[in-house]
Amino acid sequence: MSLFVASLGFGLVTASILAVAAVGFTLQFGVTNILNLAFGDIMTAAAFMGYIATTNGASIWLALAVGGAFGALFSVLLNRLLYTPFVRRGTRLFGMIIVTIAVSLIIQNGIQAIWGPSFFSLKFSPGHSYHVLGSMVFTTAQFGIMGIAVVAMLGVYGLLRYTKLGKAMRATASDPALARSCGIATDRVIDVAWVLSGALCGIAGIALAMNVTSFTSTTGGTFLIAIVAAAVLGGVGQAYGAMLGALTIGITSEVAAGLIAPAWKQVVAFAVLVAVLLVRPQGILSEVAEDKEVVA
Amino acid sequence: MSTAWQFYFSTLAIYLAVDIMAVWGLNLQFGVAGISSFAFIMFQAIGAYVASVLTLGPAQPTSFQQYIGGANLPFPLPLLAAGLAGGLLALVVGLISLRRLRTDYQAMVMLVISLTATYVVDNETHLFNGPAGLSLVPKPLFDSLGLSLISYQWFYVGLSAVICVLIYLVVRRFTGSPLGRAMRAARDNEHAAAALGKNVLALRMTAFVAGGVIAGISGAVFVDFIGAWSPGSWLYPETFVYFTAILVGGTGNNVGVAVGALLVPIGFLEATRYLPNIGYPGFVDALEWVAVGVLALIFLWFWPRGVIPERKRRFPRAGEERRRFGVLALRGRS
Repeated sequence: MSLFVASLGFGLVTASILAVAAVGFTLQFGVTNILNLAFGDIMTAAAFMGYIATTNGASIWLALAVGGAFGALFSVLLNRLLYTPFVRRGTRLFGMIIVTIAVSLIIQNGIQAIWGPSFFSLKFSPGHSYHVLGSMVFTTAQFGIMGIAVVAMLGVYGLLRYTKLGKAMRATASDPALARSCGIATDRVIDVAWVLSGALCGIAGIALAMNVTSFTSTTGGTFLIAIVAAAVLGGVGQAYGAMLGALTIGITSEVAAGLIAPAWKQVVAFAVLVAVLLVRPQGILSEVAEDKEVVA
Repeated sequence: MSTAWQFYFSTLAIYLAVDIMAVWGLNLQFGVAGISSFAFIMFQAIGAYVASVLTLGPAQPTSFQQYIGGANLPFPLPLLAAGLAGGLLALVVGLISLRRLRTDYQAMVMLVISLTATYVVDNETHLFNGPAGLSLVPKPLFDSLGLSLISYQWFYVGLSAVICVLIYLVVRRFTGSPLGRAMRAARDNEHAAAALGKNVLALRMTAFVAGGVIAGISGAVFVDFIGAWSPGSWLYPETFVYFTAILVGGTGNNVGVAVGALLVPIGFLEATRYLPNIGYPGFVDALEWVAVGVLALIFLWFWPRGVIPERKRRFPRAGEERRRFGVLALRGRS
């Protein structure tokens, strides 16, 4: 029982990181219609930026800001300089997948060429440990991660629900041509979507690096399994669905890891993904998947 | 030619044969049937694994390596079993991902399948012996032939060339037949093909499983030659290399993709082997992967149809058929 409660605690932290990442990933796809498989590797790159920051004496909170800013800038430039030109040239669905995987390989191996294949950790003190519920223990840093996730989720919710920009993003997601003819500057909306999702990606990268004791050039790439599982479970392109998916995947995978074996973490995420694909490939909340015809 | 060069060229020839078989398998899945088969390398890996354990002999509890199954079958049987394993795995993966998913979504799901497989194999050491993999796989017919090492090398070149030709004949049975035409139709316009009464899912599944069988055999040829199997040589970027080979050669064209296999996995990756060893071990490898990524981007930008593009197939209108029948019979096959 105590093991269960303890792994439930880990699960909440993992779910927080996953929620930030999955919402970023799914927003990117929903608004821009590009499945950016380099997402995990941009997270790794942000983690390495955080590593540079913390080794030069920055606090972990400053490193989070650095990671977020890096993710935002990198993503918007990646889209402007590479993805959009390819789309304009007529590269279609499969071609774009090749492009994003090429980018993912370039980032991952570029990082490895610069920093080598060894393990790194962010330099920060996780702070005091608080007993919350029996064997559930959180450090200050873990509280910080959960806090950031809650703020980010509320922020995304508020943005999409209550602001004009959010409305424009939703309009662009569901029908770009109609949105344009209603006077929405879809190019600018798409830029904003890349900045926003990139920032979420960078923050998730730093949070992931804080949570795992050490990371390497492939850490973000492996995390992509959980991100995709959470996004697909929630219905790809659905921000709220991704939040739900992240909670489900994060908690079940950590509990499985605690009760069975650590390697089961990714397997559970994968099993959920397979089950969703077999039963309801459009995900829990399915409007976007149906609009974009990702499933027939 | 000195013995060292003979070893080098014969090894390259065997690698080339393996890569050509693999790109034909992948081309059948992706080029002909339009499936974003990003889990392709798994089919090659499982074929290689099955071929290894079926030649290694029964597993000994005291051995330094653990594996499932284990038998000591005579030569062509492990190869056939490898094809069977590749086909079965393709069937399972196909059931998950071929049914209702759009191209890019399908690619993402397959990529995740491949990532998870690597993760499980690496971490569950009792299943596949973990990252260490298998070694000391006996070479087929080596003992019974009694050849010197170098003659055996050339014998194996011949053997893989024969298998390559056999696979080409099979692949052509697919691509040059009405079945291949139906597959291309389902690739180009799924709804039109379905409206004409073609079972799109069955067509895709056929191409996918056939590609899996070919991949499994290619893996067996590879592992029997190098005598070792490790999960580290079957990561998803390897699939990406094969996709790059297909893009470079010309998607959908059997000759084109074979040229792609010569240019990308062999030519490109071998050329970088002669770079001086700068930096720490692994530095050049990392740069090599960066270069493969850049190469794929360059080709997608400038030559998205590849060096030798797929032939545009023209079919006569109903009335023209009889008049041009003689020409058609000559040009109908590809």
